[in-house]
Amino acid sequence: MKKLIQKLKRPSLIARYSLIVLSALVMLPLLITLVGLVTMTSLSWLHPPASPSIYSNTTKLRLAWEAEAAAMGGESKEQAAVRLKAWIQKYPRSKVFRVDGEGSLHDAIPARKDFPAQWSAAYTVEYMKEAVNGVRYTVVSFVGDNRSEGFIVVEVPRYLTLPYSQRLDGVGSTVYAIGVMIMLTLYLFVSFLFFIRIRRRLVRLQAAMELPSESGLPLPVSLSGSDEIGRLEQSFNGMIRELEQSRRREEAEEALRRDLVMRLAHDLRTPLTVIRAHAFTLGREALSAQGKESLQLMTGKLDYTSELMENLFSYNLLVAGKYPYRPQRTDVTRLLRTQLAAWYPVLEQAEIELDSDLPEESIWWQADPQWLERVVDNLLQNVLRHAASGCYVAVRLLTENGGTLVVEDRGPGMDAESTFKGTGLGLAIVDLMLVEQDLCKQVRSGPDGTIITIWPDPERAKSNCQSTDELSTDF
Amino acid sequence: MKGRQGEATMNGKAKLLYIEDDPDIGSWLSRDLKERGYEVEWLPSGEGAEELAADADLAILDVMLPGLDGFTVGQKLKKRCPGLPILMLSARSAVEDKLQGLHFADDYVTKPFHPDELGARVEVLLRRFGKGEDQPVRLGHLEVRPRELTVTDAGSGEEIALTPKQLQILLFLLRNPGRILTKEQIYESVWGESFLEGDKTVMVHIRYLRERIERDPANPRLVETVRGIGYRVRPS
Repeated sequence: MKKLIQKLKRPSLIARYSLIVLSALVMLPLLITLVGLVTMTSLSWLHPPASPSIYSNTTKLRLAWEAEAAAMGGESKEQAAVRLKAWIQKYPRSKVFRVDGEGSLHDAIPARKDFPAQWSAAYTVEYMKEAVNGVRYTVVSFVGDNRSEGFIVVEVPRYLTLPYSQRLDGVGSTVYAIGVMIMLTLYLFVSFLFFIRIRRRLVRLQAAMELPSESGLPLPVSLSGSDEIGRLEQSFNGMIRELEQSRRREEAEEALRRDLVMRLAHDLRTPLTVIRAHAFTLGREALSAQGKESLQLMTGKLDYTSELMENLFSYNLLVAGKYPYRPQRTDVTRLLRTQLAAWYPVLEQAEIELDSDLPEESIWWQADPQWLERVVDNLLQNVLRHAASGCYVAVRLLTENGGTLVVEDRGPGMDAESTFKGTGLGLAIVDLMLVEQDLCKQVRSGPDGTIITIWPDPERAKSNCQSTDELSTDF
Repeated sequence: MKGRQGEATMNGKAKLLYIEDDPDIGSWLSRDLKERGYEVEWLPSGEGAEELAADADLAILDVMLPGLDGFTVGQKLKKRCPGLPILMLSARSAVEDKLQGLHFADDYVTKPFHPDELGARVEVLLRRFGKGEDQPVRLGHLEVRPRELTVTDAGSGEEIALTPKQLQILLFLLRNPGRILTKEQIYESVWGESFLEGDKTVMVHIRYLRERIERDPANPRLVETVRGIGYRVRPS
């Protein structure tokens, strides 16, 4: 019962709509009937049928007029005029006039501009023909007994001569039609309000969905009712809450993951540091040739392990889209010169000749300088590790195509068997970073060396940017 | 090599404040730095660092420390002693970490590091901050006294007159021994302005500098040119 009362207090949309339809089917005819009854009753009250009109009995009216005409016989013009005025006073809604024996118009009450001053026989006949079944009930009577004194005419609006019931039919129909129209308009207005309100609430919900907050998620909406839309708003708020919680969970997991990676990196690097430190101490001791060789190998492997770890963590972050990326207008010439300055002593120590060819002018790329440095580092690291036997690396920056970077070595090529084959992580990082920065890479590798070309091409789709052509010989 | 860098420039021993929680690394590096001629105060956490920083010439900080982390300790030290050079030594190698560190620190070295590289960076930082530069630096036949701003020919004992810009360039190169410096880096450090594309100023000044200091300016030996990249000096 309580539920029913609550439902009645807060009706659902379907209940409201049903009510409107029900009112259209049941209430509307009832209301229209009611309008009819009210109209008729009101009119009957205004003009009760019990008080008949003085004009409704035409016979009596005609006889009275004929009596007036008979009495007027032999009277002077003035007397005739007095008699007609007296008639008008008795029947105020009638019109009278007199035409004398010569056809002249007299005593028209009220004055008639539509009549000629002199009536011919033809006009008289025409007038009488029009009067038959015209809008006015007309009685024409000869004055006196002989036909030489002319005639008098009385006109009464025909509807005044009808019974009340007939006379009110027209008025009643109009009032009834207006009443029906008002009822229909009211019904349409109520329906319109019903849908407008639904629309307004839906639009408000839509706007809330499309307006994300600072966190990127829409804000919850205030409930506008407990009907279907209200429940939709409730579900929407619930969904937002779920998304918000999910986002927080994701952030917490991400923070946990980063923390874990950070700690893992720390925990792995710390023992490596200790090993490196002690290897350094050992290197200062007097060692046999074999001992020195073992130590050198150990140090090389240490470098490789720490580099591998660095690449592994970077690759992990890149794949997860968590590696900080801050693209900006970058002077590649300057960046390369600085990078090569840092690499020169390392390459020099490894007896690799660095042939640098950088233009005097600046070449600008839209890229993250840190990422570009990493790309150059990984490419040169690759040369150092896998192509040192060629004792040569060339780094060129050509001005064509908005700047083209070429890194060329004379190593055994990428397909060569090598004890330092590696995981390819360094180049995978290079590829990921280049794709993200809309830079294209082409690799040509053969037994005489490898040429890697990098150039910016924002027009091309990222997926088409990478291409690897394996060349077997001659370059 | 051992202790060479410290002995080359130090009159008294430079005091290093070293904060590291790992006992293996801490004890080893403390010993190594002492062997390089520095006085080292090693703390296992940031506690008490501020008091010791006042007397230190340089601070080496690990990032992951018990209690306050290295970034917080470093910021506090820099705030209290703005003239104290700080070198961050961390296993955290992410760009974000480096950027956060270099926001206040003067250098950032990641673990595992090469002890010689760390030694060189400590030396460079001490020189850059004018600590322990009271001894002359030998560059070939030259003897350069950074604090007195004088360059003399060690053989003849004659002072070589350099313009302020030439001296600044030479000192900047000497502060980065063995490192190749690009013309942009030299210009921006010496002139303190942004380098403009195609500017030949550095090249011209280095030519004049060579005319003053090189025995044979046509075949320079003191200020080397690394073709297409930059210049470097290798002090003896």
